[in-house]
Amino acid sequence: MSRILIIDDDEPFRIHLATLLRNSGHMVLEVECALEILDKIALDPYDLLITDIFMPGMDGFELLSMLLRHHPRIRVIAMSGGGGHMSPALALNIAKKLGAMELIRKPFAYGDVMQTVERALRSPPE
Amino acid sequence: MNAHAEYQELTDQQKLIDMRQELEGGFQTVIRHYQAGILHRPEKIRQAVRDNDAERVSMESHSMKSVCRQVGLMNMGEMAARLETIGNAGDLSGAEELIERLIASSVTANHELTRFCTGMELPKPFFSRAAHDE
Repeated sequence: MSRILIIDDDEPFRIHLATLLRNSGHMVLEVECALEILDKIALDPYDLLITDIFMPGMDGFELLSMLLRHHPRIRVIAMSGGGGHMSPALALNIAKKLGAMELIRKPFAYGDVMQTVERALRSPPE
Repeated sequence: MNAHAEYQELTDQQKLIDMRQELEGGFQTVIRHYQAGILHRPEKIRQAVRDNDAERVSMESHSMKSVCRQVGLMNMGEMAARLETIGNAGDLSGAEELIERLIASSVTANHELTRFCTGMELPKPFFSRAAHDE
């Protein structure tokens, strides 16, 4: 069982993803705002963090930059369907350059999510 | 004939059938969250249009698009995508008519999702249980 933290302001996606991962035996915490997790991460380490990119307040890009500066070994999966003038491919490409280990495109497919999560969990933290 | 041909908005029922299998006992809870989003988000888009806030129109429409496509409401997903494009362009003329259509569709979609998901949850036919009881 791994400890996974999901950050997504879109409730249906967040609950959907959390349910899939809990059904697979993982311990999942979900939050809707990136700002909520900065303290949590320091106190309560997670094996994997899955974050949406386009969120109000702190977006996934800011979160990635800040998080990986302070916790460089944490595994992060970035998730996006694009937003604003940015295509999903571009958003995820930027997230990858900022340090995301794996990427999930929204709307997501079950098989892709499970494979991506298992692959990330098998990988040593970078 | 497609058994679900009467559905106007739920044009890709396979998405829900797959979700039902993938989510097992969590399906009804998850689908209720999607339904709430589908019902309430168009109103947020309408308010953003009325406030002439193009960025919010784009952001809310983008979320609506993803939510609709995730559960098989493909036509509504397209409407939301058009609203997102309008929001990105910054010129909201034409958005009012589209948002009214999206709101009408969201009510229909909510009923269709309930009907489809209720049908998926029906107990096994009586004769199967009778055979099992024997």
